[in-house]
Amino acid sequence: MIKLGTLFWLALVSTTGFAMYGVKYQVQALEDELARTKRATIAEEHEIRVLDAEWAYLTRPETLEEMNRRFQSLTPIETKQLHMSAADIPLRAPAPSPPVETPTDAAAEAPPPVSMLPVTPAVPEKPVAAPLAAKPAPVKVVAKPSVPHRAKSLDDLIAQIVASR
Amino acid sequence: MIATQPFDDNPCRPRHFKPPPCAPIVPEGPARKALEACRTRLFVTSVVFACVFAVVAFRIVEVVMFEGSGTAQSHMPRFRIPAPPAPARADIVDRNGKLLATTLDSPSVYANPKQILDPADATRKLVKVFPSLRSADVYAKLTSEKSFVYVKRHLTPREQYEANQLGIPGLQFQHEERRVYPDATLTAHVVGYTGIDNSGFAGIERGLDDTLKDRREPLQLSLDLGIQYVLREELQRVIDDFTAKGAAGLIMDVNTGEVLSMVSLPDFDPNHPGAPDPDHPTINLADRMFNRNTLGVYELGSIFKIFTVAMALDSGTSTIASTYDASHPINIGRFTISDYHGKHRVLSVPEILMYSSNIGAAKMAVAAGGQRQREFLARIGLLKPPKIEMSEAAAPHFPAKWREVNVMTIAFGHGISVTPLSFASAAAALVNGGVLRQATLVKQPPGYVPQGQHVISAKTSEQMCKLMRLVVEHGTGTQAAAPGYVVGGKTGTADKVSGRHYADRKLLSSFVGIFPINDPKYLLLTMVDEPHPNKQTHGYATAGWTVAPATSRIIQRIAPLLGVQPVDESAPEIQRALMVESLQGKRLEAY
Repeated sequence: MIKLGTLFWLALVSTTGFAMYGVKYQVQALEDELARTKRATIAEEHEIRVLDAEWAYLTRPETLEEMNRRFQSLTPIETKQLHMSAADIPLRAPAPSPPVETPTDAAAEAPPPVSMLPVTPAVPEKPVAAPLAAKPAPVKVVAKPSVPHRAKSLDDLIAQIVASR
Repeated sequence: MIATQPFDDNPCRPRHFKPPPCAPIVPEGPARKALEACRTRLFVTSVVFACVFAVVAFRIVEVVMFEGSGTAQSHMPRFRIPAPPAPARADIVDRNGKLLATTLDSPSVYANPKQILDPADATRKLVKVFPSLRSADVYAKLTSEKSFVYVKRHLTPREQYEANQLGIPGLQFQHEERRVYPDATLTAHVVGYTGIDNSGFAGIERGLDDTLKDRREPLQLSLDLGIQYVLREELQRVIDDFTAKGAAGLIMDVNTGEVLSMVSLPDFDPNHPGAPDPDHPTINLADRMFNRNTLGVYELGSIFKIFTVAMALDSGTSTIASTYDASHPINIGRFTISDYHGKHRVLSVPEILMYSSNIGAAKMAVAAGGQRQREFLARIGLLKPPKIEMSEAAAPHFPAKWREVNVMTIAFGHGISVTPLSFASAAAALVNGGVLRQATLVKQPPGYVPQGQHVISAKTSEQMCKLMRLVVEHGTGTQAAAPGYVVGGKTGTADKVSGRHYADRKLLSSFVGIFPINDPKYLLLTMVDEPHPNKQTHGYATAGWTVAPATSRIIQRIAPLLGVQPVDESAPEIQRALMVESLQGKRLEAY
């Protein structure tokens, strides 16, 4: 009887002992990782600061001007270019989306802008601005899933995705 | 307890024989007393032990169950977990978030000469890594009696690596930080610079030193880097075109007092504040470090007439239809006041401003009186140093005794010297409906209009806008016109004082422009110091030929950046809004 009790306690002591050492090593490993991560974070933060400074240095107005001179030759906006606001600029009318032509042809043959459209061309459901496209082709893209028609707006794109499912 | 028994005196008793137990014998006498004492001692000892064990048990329970999370700091991790770095000096960014000043790590290398085993060898190695050091200096440092000498401060990461690779015992690194200004000269005077220990020495760095030390998130200025660049470039062009000594310019939001740009030329590189300018090595350092906008006080000349006119109109001593005889120069004391663009006839108030008549302005001021003039100038903040988040702010110079001759000269901007910044704040108050607001370099939240002080009536303010439009439309400032942006303004050409007299050929030309003047939003003050005439300007170096064209160019470049929509200036509603009543129907003699 006494022997059984002793065995039990011995087993308990050794189990807890091993468990404790296990936990201790686990904690040490975690601590090491924490220290490593913190060091890495600090190093990363320093690096970000350096990169920020470098970015600011590389995008100085004088550098940009020089790069513009070499690669782009953009000139300052002239006053006459600003006489209208962005809202006044007519957008191209939505493409008539012909069923046979490839998307690029469709874009090239888009009818001339005849009216000032609102800024976002909605889903080309009402082709009021395209009287030449007499056929009121209501989103024919569904018919051609293999060659997807280029989406004109986000709504259009979603409609395409829904149709292809 | 085994009772004592009388011994058996049988000698043949075997050794293992135990006598049979018998009833305990109750001790008597002294034995009993000893026994009692024994019992008591045992009892007390066991109680004490029980208490101690109870305390230990209690403590174990307490530690395990209630303090588990709180004791994390008390144990020692195997490796030191690095603490987050101490908050560095806050960055400075422009109104669009572009970095103007930041703090980067740059360790310094120092030595403990007492630990250096072979100074000659160490010197040789160090000079190889840092070619900028002189070996004699390094050797002297390494053999000194001190126990701490800087070998080199602010290393680049590569230099630090190489110095570390040398493996010289006694050489140590010290964590240090260094302020970096990516835009170098562009915002030098505004942002300022710091010393080697990162304390602010000039500009915002000094003015807001404590704020920058305490905060972690970047400090956002009202400056716009793009606009700053345009202003600096155009001012530099004016200096080059007219071989001028210097120039200054600032752009202010007239409704909030925010300074969008402030340039003073020549300037310096805040990354190396003491270094000579590689492009212009002859310009001395003091001149380059000098912020003309806040530290310089100038007799700004005719642009001061806007204050004379505003004072006269606001106090009612003149109306827009008043006329003053400007046909003859005024002689007072040893001075003669005459007109540069003389018309030699009676001029109305709008004409005095348009043709910049000194005689007319002087007479107008005399009519209003010196007392009123002084009070007005004090009210619009021109008789005290400008207030802004910079430590550099110079006090104005003005006569202690406000005599009649002072009244006359101050009317056209001589005999009083103010900083361009004070002037801009005051001029903004004349056009923004009459509210004087403190100039600021810190970005204000969108839509926030700081409290101001009403200095003139809204009606006078409106009249001033119309008059300043006339100057650009028909007067001395026609070259400042920027088609579409309805510029209004005033030219000013002052003779510079040299010693006790006015120097004849040394001018200070300035222009204050406001656009769009039908709904004033921005004020642009440009000033060029000692411009010299060139062929294109037909021998003129006055404001109308120097800074007015620059104003036009600047406005055309910055207005799109500021989101100012160009309008058709000949549109009837704009014409009507800017019509000066007294001139209605009169032919304007174009200058």
